[in-house]
Parts: sequence; structure tokens; C-alpha cells
Amino acid sequence: MARVVILGAGVSGHTAALFLKRRLGRNHEVVMVSPNSNWNWIPSNIWVGVGKMSPDKVVFPLAPIYRRKKIVFRQANAVALRPNGDADSPRGAVDVVYTDPKRAGKTERIRYDYLINATGPRLNFEATPGLGPDAGHTVSVCTPSHAVDAAKHLATVIETLKTGRRQTLVIGVGHGTCTCEGAAFEYAFNVEHELRAAGVRERAEVIYLTNEHELGDFGVGGMTFSQGDHRITSEAWMESLFRERKMKAITQAAVTKIEPGLIHYRQIDGTDNAQPFDFAMLLPPFRGVNLEAFDRDGTDITDSIFAPSGFMRVDANYEAKPFDQWTAQDWPRTYQTPLHHNVFGIGIAFAPPHAISRPYATPDGVLVAPAPPRTGMPSGSMGKAVAMTISDMILHGSPEPTHTASMGEMAAACIASTGTGMLSGTAAAMSMSPIVPDHSRHPDTAGRDPQETTGDIGLAAHWVKRMLHTLFIYKAKAYPLWYLIPE
Amino acid sequence: MDNAQARIDMAPLPGMRELRRRSNLVQQFVRFLSLNWTMYRLAKHHG
Repeated sequence: MARVVILGAGVSGHTAALFLKRRLGRNHEVVMVSPNSNWNWIPSNIWVGVGKMSPDKVVFPLAPIYRRKKIVFRQANAVALRPNGDADSPRGAVDVVYTDPKRAGKTERIRYDYLINATGPRLNFEATPGLGPDAGHTVSVCTPSHAVDAAKHLATVIETLKTGRRQTLVIGVGHGTCTCEGAAFEYAFNVEHELRAAGVRERAEVIYLTNEHELGDFGVGGMTFSQGDHRITSEAWMESLFRERKMKAITQAAVTKIEPGLIHYRQIDGTDNAQPFDFAMLLPPFRGVNLEAFDRDGTDITDSIFAPSGFMRVDANYEAKPFDQWTAQDWPRTYQTPLHHNVFGIGIAFAPPHAISRPYATPDGVLVAPAPPRTGMPSGSMGKAVAMTISDMILHGSPEPTHTASMGEMAAACIASTGTGMLSGTAAAMSMSPIVPDHSRHPDTAGRDPQETTGDIGLAAHWVKRMLHTLFIYKAKAYPLWYLIPE
Repeated sequence: MDNAQARIDMAPLPGMRELRRRSNLVQQFVRFLSLNWTMYRLAKHHG
């Protein structure tokens, strides 16, 4: 009997667990290690953050699902990898510290035959002084509890606006190397939508503050959409949307410090600026979780397994080279780690070989460089591909990975909400193929397939986003025929 | 140099026809079906 241990029950890890168990059946063991008792459909946190969805609609407890699917669940934090085993056994192991109330603080060493690292990010609020809801002066929508807190602050701002006072709302990213600009964009437009619905829009200034070089970059270098017989850049598309909704924007900015009511930021030309605010939702940069790695004799081998960012090195080309020499082929295909062929890193947990958007820095070296997004659709695809590979290795003895899911080859669809409501909602539906531009395959169309890179705004896209919420939670709950729903 | 705000101020606004299209229930229902098909095809083809 083989044992597959998965670290992290986010989109990629949970997808991998379900597919693995479906293929491996009762003869092999699938163990999920996750510090959280709940699963969270993160894309809908923005609606919790404007008070339009209750937090219980975006989470559900994992334990009953895993009990039903015969997946072993350990509510625990992984703290150390021992890919070559220890003094007792050459079998790989992972050290965990339990987080569930019954066993909180207890430790265990779990042996594995195959390991999937899908730990996702550590929210690195500490990277910017004053950032975040706990020790800082800004709110966040990264977790359901953060989003509930953001909704309370927003309600207070709306009440203040109703008294006739003006308010400034700043929404965006809180560091020069942040990713997930799309989520900040969605939240900004949902806030704007709610201000209009509350009849207080005219007294509010809504500012989108971003590290993107231009609007519509989204950390993927922007897109050029096919719309009927003409083409339009995501930059022009977004500028029009910002003007239509009377939103302001500050781009090319690295937030350096936040004081109560004041955001300090530096732009790529080196200028230092300060933006006053009454309400600020700024996303944090991500780091890998604090996982260490040790050899059999206890030697620290963390640096050979993880990149300096804390993310796991996989089958990517990490050679340092100028931006113009980066290619889609540098991106990982199998997510297998080069040193340990039974260890895989997926979702946000794998170290990207390079940025997708051109990185910039201020004259004094402050990075203004959006990190590549690797959430949602690609995360699910990676989870499924690695699950299929490992099950082929276990069931058929395949010596090499049998499935791939390269961001340099796969397409992604993104539905960015710009306001909720069954009749009044809108969203921007964007698709791109591939996610990482491949200039060798598409030299004349900015590296992407013009037939599969499209954009549209309207009520229909909101319906799709709302439908995906229901569909993906159905899938994550592993209800009948869940596996027919694509990633 | 950040000229995003200047570009926003100069950006074209959608016309009345486009705004009607974005909220017209019949057109949007057709678009809903089309978007679903597009995403399903992308996911099956690339997933």
C-alpha cells in the first residue's frame, strides 16, 4: 500500500486529494495535512468583503468530506520535510504540528511514498510596515475573517458618507512585489458598486493603487483581446472602465509604509508620494510557508529544496537571464522536484522561474514587479495533473510523470467581478491562452492565441461568476459526478 | 512615469448601445451561454 501525503487543502491540494483517492481507491492511502479545518472558495471573499455574501457561503468544513471520501485528514501545520528520511528509516517524512483543538501543539512525523506540497502562500503583511488588519492600518480580503472585518469597516465608511462627509477609499496592493492584482481590482469595483447602490458615490473618491506598470496588466503582462473583428489591449479596456466608473488609479507604485490614514509609496521614477485614506484594502505580498528541509543526518537542506522566496523548486528553468530571454518553456510542466522524484510542488507553493510582467525597480532598487498569479484554474489543473501522474506511478509503475500542466501551454479564464446583483451586477470575463506568453508560437500577437484571448464586460459574466461559485463549491464538496466539472 | 490617470481621463466611454447590450437580458443570456461554452472548451482542451 502506498501513502500519498498532501500538504495544503486549497484549490490545488484539495483537487489533487480528490482525484488521487478516486483513482487509487481503498488499496492506497491519501493523507491531507492542512492547518485549517475549513475549505475556502477565495474568489468569493470579495463579496464577503462588501457585505453581500455571508462568510458561511464561502467556507465549509473539510473533515466530513474527507471522512466520506476515505481520505485521512490531519489538521496540522507542516513544519519540516525529510525527503531522504531520517536515522530510523530512508522513507521520506514530513513533521507536522497539530492545530485542531484536541491535539493542538502535538507533533508527529508522517512517512510518505509520495508528497505533494500545495501549502499555498504565507500572507507576508510584515513586508510593509503598517500593512494588514492585525498589526497595521489596512484591511484585507485574503481570508473570510479578514473579509468580514473589511465589510464592517466599509459599512462605517458608508455611514460616514451618509452624514455628508467626504471619504477616500484606496484599494490595491501593499507592496511592490505583490500578486493577485485581479482580486484587488475586483474588490475596488465591488466597493464602487456598493457606494453607488448606497447613494453615496458622489462624496467618495475611490483610488486603485497598484504595482502594475499599466492598468490591465494583472501580473500576466496584459492581454490583447479579440473583440469581433478588432483587437483591443487590456490596458485600453480598463482605462475606459475606470473612466466610466469615475475611478482613479495610481500605477507603477511600491507601497513602502502605512501610517494611520496615510499610505507612503515610491514609483518607478523614484518619486516618493503619500496618499491619505479613510479606508484602505491593500493585499499583502506572498511568501512560501515556513517549511524547512533536512537530510537524513539532520543537515539543513532547505536551500536546495526551496527558493529564497520560500516556494518549492520544481522542474522549471531557474537560470538567471534577462527578461527578454525568458520563455514559456522555462515554466514547469510536471511540478516534480528535480532532486526527489516522489515530491511535487503545485499551486502557489511552486517557485515560478520568472515574472510574466516585465519587472521594474526604482533608481534605488525598490522592486515594482508584479509576481505571477498561479491561482484558480491553473492551480486546479496542476492538482489534477500531479494526481494523475502519481496514481500512474503507483498503479502502473510509470517511471516518469505522465501528465503535464504548464502555464506556458494552458489557457485560463478569469471572471473579474465589477459589482454583484442578479440584475445589476457586472463582471469582466477574460480568457487567455497561454497564461505565460509564448512568443515562439504566437510571434505576431504578443505571445498569445488571438482566438482564445478574449474579453467582454456585462451582466452575463456576473452570472457566470456566481454560477462558478456554486459549481466549484459543489465540486469541492465531492458531490455526485464532481469530477465531471472541469478545473 | 505613471500617466495612468491622464490616460483614464482621455479614455473613450462606452456608447449607449454598448451600455444597453451589457444589461439587456436577452443578449446577456445568449452571452452567458457563449461564455460557458468558451470556458468549458478552454478547460477541456487545456486542462
